[in-house]
Amino acid sequence: MVYVWLAAFFLLVFLLVLVIYQLMSLADLEFDCINPYDSASQINKTIVPEFVFQGSLCLLFLLSGHWLMFLFCIPNLYYNLRLYQHRQHLIDVTEIFNQINREKKRRLIKVMSVVLLLLMSLFWMLWSALEADEQLVTVRSY
Amino acid sequence: MQPRGKEQANFPGRPTQPFLAAPQSSTPFRSPGPVGGIEVSGPSRAISPFVSSGPMTGLGASGSPQNMSPFLSSGPAIGTQPSSYRAPPPSMRSNGPSSPPTSSFSAQDASIYQQSQALGFPPAPMHPPPPIGQPHMPPSGNFRPQSQIPLVPMGPPPQGSSQLTSMSNMPPPSGSVFSAPRTPPQPLLQGYSNVPQRANVPPFQPDSQFQASRPVPQPLMQVYPAAHVPPIHTSQYHAHQSLVPPPPPVGGPMGFNSREQLQHPLTGPPIGGVQGLVEEFQSLTVGSVPGALDPGVDAKSLPRPLNGDEEPIKLLEMYPFNCHPRFMRLTTHAIPNSQSLLSRWHLPLGAVVHPLAEAPDGEEVPIVNFGPAGIIRCRRCRTYVNPYVTFTDAGRKWRCNLCSLLNDVPGEYYCALDATGRRCDLDQRPELSKGSVEFVASTEYMVRPPMPPLYFFLIDVSVSAVCSGLLEIVAKTIKSCLDDLPGFPRTQIGFITFDSTLHFHNLKSSLTQPQMLVVADLDDVFLPLPDDLLVNLSDSRHVVDAFLDSLPSMFQGTSNVESAFGPALKAAFMVMSQLGGKLLIFQSTLPSLGVGRLRLRGDDLRMYGTDKEHTLRLPEDPFYKQMAAEFTKNQIAVDIYAFSEKYSDIASLGSLAKYTGGQVYHHPSFQTAVHQEKLRYELARNLTRETAWEAVMRIRCGKGVRFTTYHGHFMLRSTDLLALPAVDCDKAFAMQLSLEETLMTTQTVYFQVALLYTSSSGERRIRVHTTAAPVVADLSEMYRQADTGAIVSLLGRLAIENSLSQKLEDARQSLQLKLVKSLKEYRNLYVVQHRLGGRLIFPESLKFLPLYVLSLFKSVALRGGYADSPLDERCAAGYNMMILPISRMLKLIYPGLFRIDENLLKDLKEGQEPLRQLPLSAQSLDPKGVYVLDDGFNFIIWLGRMLSSDLLNNIVGVELASFPDLSRVVVCEHDNEISKRLMRVLKELRAKDPSSYQSCRLWLCRLDSSSIQAITRLVKMVTTTVIVPFFYLAMLASASSNSCLQHME
Repeated sequence: MVYVWLAAFFLLVFLLVLVIYQLMSLADLEFDCINPYDSASQINKTIVPEFVFQGSLCLLFLLSGHWLMFLFCIPNLYYNLRLYQHRQHLIDVTEIFNQINREKKRRLIKVMSVVLLLLMSLFWMLWSALEADEQLVTVRSY
Repeated sequence: MQPRGKEQANFPGRPTQPFLAAPQSSTPFRSPGPVGGIEVSGPSRAISPFVSSGPMTGLGASGSPQNMSPFLSSGPAIGTQPSSYRAPPPSMRSNGPSSPPTSSFSAQDASIYQQSQALGFPPAPMHPPPPIGQPHMPPSGNFRPQSQIPLVPMGPPPQGSSQLTSMSNMPPPSGSVFSAPRTPPQPLLQGYSNVPQRANVPPFQPDSQFQASRPVPQPLMQVYPAAHVPPIHTSQYHAHQSLVPPPPPVGGPMGFNSREQLQHPLTGPPIGGVQGLVEEFQSLTVGSVPGALDPGVDAKSLPRPLNGDEEPIKLLEMYPFNCHPRFMRLTTHAIPNSQSLLSRWHLPLGAVVHPLAEAPDGEEVPIVNFGPAGIIRCRRCRTYVNPYVTFTDAGRKWRCNLCSLLNDVPGEYYCALDATGRRCDLDQRPELSKGSVEFVASTEYMVRPPMPPLYFFLIDVSVSAVCSGLLEIVAKTIKSCLDDLPGFPRTQIGFITFDSTLHFHNLKSSLTQPQMLVVADLDDVFLPLPDDLLVNLSDSRHVVDAFLDSLPSMFQGTSNVESAFGPALKAAFMVMSQLGGKLLIFQSTLPSLGVGRLRLRGDDLRMYGTDKEHTLRLPEDPFYKQMAAEFTKNQIAVDIYAFSEKYSDIASLGSLAKYTGGQVYHHPSFQTAVHQEKLRYELARNLTRETAWEAVMRIRCGKGVRFTTYHGHFMLRSTDLLALPAVDCDKAFAMQLSLEETLMTTQTVYFQVALLYTSSSGERRIRVHTTAAPVVADLSEMYRQADTGAIVSLLGRLAIENSLSQKLEDARQSLQLKLVKSLKEYRNLYVVQHRLGGRLIFPESLKFLPLYVLSLFKSVALRGGYADSPLDERCAAGYNMMILPISRMLKLIYPGLFRIDENLLKDLKEGQEPLRQLPLSAQSLDPKGVYVLDDGFNFIIWLGRMLSSDLLNNIVGVELASFPDLSRVVVCEHDNEISKRLMRVLKELRAKDPSSYQSCRLWLCRLDSSSIQAITRLVKMVTTTVIVPFFYLAMLASASSNSCLQHME
């Protein structure tokens, strides 16, 4: 059980890194440290991996039977799927400046939800580790 | 058939097959493919000096403490500038109660008059016509002097009660005198009497200030002389004087009609500036019966913009250092000083910039060369030196007018100041005395050597292009323009033709005949030659001539219907990517092969009216946007000429032009006979007009304001830098402003447009336009300084952009909402003071705005739904409207209508009086007349149905009875006097605007099809049947803004 949480933890960390990277790229663009072509290609490179991580995280929760955590992941998954289906998941370099505020807001929300999940999974990881430890202790005490 | 390659040396190891058809040629050639060098990162940084200044422009960031000083404190600073650039004296304000009280009597009379009118008004279908036409000469002028005759003692400004008493004792007969004439009412004047009148009406009374003034309300008119004992008047007057800021508009109960009639007209306390108020708004009487179909507006009295666009030139008198309005116009030449004020200005706040507008002879933009000293710019915000900078410290320092930073004056630029603080050499330096200058940029403004003018042609040679005769016209036109291409010895040129394969043309100067190289591999496009696809025109002139001569015959008899547009685009990109330049695409079918193939869209009726409707107007394939981004990165501008009879997805093709600063020319169902002149003219103009290459544009503005969104054809390189691979005098850009600070303390805001470009002669230039606008705290001032043309241009662009993300219906609604809100706000501003219940009032400066907005709704891009205009035409019109300069935009949405039958019948000499523009209404059309409708792109010749057949036949040139299809008739010169005169008239009209050429269409109003609706639809005519409900509903909207929205169409 601990390993499930451990895996989820790492997935979440990856996810967080990717989204924050995208956010930084957008911020750079806004402050004119980078041109829109580079910014868009940087972001677009990380979007599909991000979606994959997100999907596998959901799958992990689903298969390991953590329904509650899975439920928490669902909105993000749905959002990603929808974007992908509408072919809007990639940043459009020609319109990037018009979309920059919206994109930043979306990613900020994503970061917040991921951080929340991260804290929860951290908690559950420790919990289950302690529990396992406790069980071990109880077993040993017998 | 084709000249074979003799020069095998050019392609080592290459077999000759490729010249035949060579579909198998791919493998050996794949390697030389990338020779074109796509990895050119240089051009993308070509403007880096410009870019680097980007972060500096964050003006709001760290304002230095002395930011305000030049305008407020520093005496010498102001001394150097003409004082006229400061805000106009407040005495012109309508609400300025402090101004000398001279004209109170006219005010009174007007109010009496108003009363009488109000009495007769509600039931009467024959109410007086509202004011129209030229508001600058108020009709009130007629009776005002009369009113003053019995009241001569009014002369000196009131000092105490005695004079005011005499005022109040005005004999009652004078009231009746003025109630008699039913000349156009001037309700504006009423306002002046209204301010004191308000004291009569408890609900409107600002209590604190009027306690003393109003002992008893006076219900009846007759008693009024007695009621006004002198003390009351004095107190009123004083009370009013203390009322310096006008009370905030009351949106509350407005039960005017009844109360107004009982109202008795007090002698108004003297308030000045009647003139100012008169100019301020017009009113329109609208019927008082809600829901009535006939709102009782005399359509003839509606304001009509018959003089086309009027540039706000008088601003130049106030701000002589501003650039001419042809280069830049603000939507209102008064910047609000606070967010709350801005939020009450519901129209867009922004600017329309036309950086390369053609100036008439004698007003060209002066060119300034600073030589090796470099261009004088502010250290911090990178503003260019301009007439508004101030020199201090005996001429050794100058203060930037945008960011207030004190900069050193370089030694070479030093000049002593005279006694008033002006530089002694002011007159010799255009950059210090003119709002528009052009600096010659030094090498620090270029990353690569200035590029030569480069024209590359991508020509569709599939069967439809050949059969329609298009190919021949294009080839001939290009050939005729070769001598006039700008940048003579350096100009580069190249061609690719394509159908289902790509045809490259080797134009090497040592050849006598051009060679054609065919590449059939569409999946992996490569260039068969490393160079010589793009050649110097003057070196290879004979080869280019030979190529253009043979081009039409080369593809004669082809039966190829496919179009490998995407691969051809890629190939063109590979050829041009090193240099950049202008790519002209002639496309006459839907792209059907290779990457970027498009499919038929827009046939699905069910899409319309749903949330997915807007996707039809967006590019379908991301390929086009990606290509557009790549093109801009490599300084390539794309112009699209689309000719398809059927759907050719202009929405997708046009995005190429949209992001590269290009233009879409749409000639649906091209017919050689009808359209060739137009195409020839447009293409020739495109090729020969002065073009600015590899340009970037930035607009800087003073502290506190910021440009947020930009609208037009360009690509944003950073938040405020517009990348324009090529820009010319036919392109304008719009942008919107936002306030960064909640309260602005400066008195003037400066804007500076800087366009850095390479001229065709290979010189790097910076064109700088500087303009100043006052900061105001008063909404009415914003309305007074509003510029209808700029507002319409910006609103139109916003609506077009909205139509790309919303339904058409929603796009129109949001436009309408803006208009209604602004009128409502304006009404709130005045209605309480001026008792204008039941009237639509609108500011004088915006009197045409409702009409123009309505015309926008009727424009091709925004009108109706599925059936009202074909999708392609709609998209093309949308792309077109995004780049049009203000005057052409206004002309397009509100075309000129001229009656010409007299000119045709009589032999009028040259120098006759010009044609008079008629209002676009059904009444203007006389069935016995001949009219020309000119929207700047097309002429429609309207032939009345009662026209003599002789005249008709002479115009058409054939027996009409035997020629039923008028759309196929070519208007050309026939061998008769009338036809010649017609052509002369058309020529005159065309000469008014050199930027486009109008092709002719005949519209014969026959008996069987003469319904107004048919004409309206075809001619886009804004008939009275449309306009009247609009006004009516807009008025109603001030009460309930939703009700009008449904009834608009």
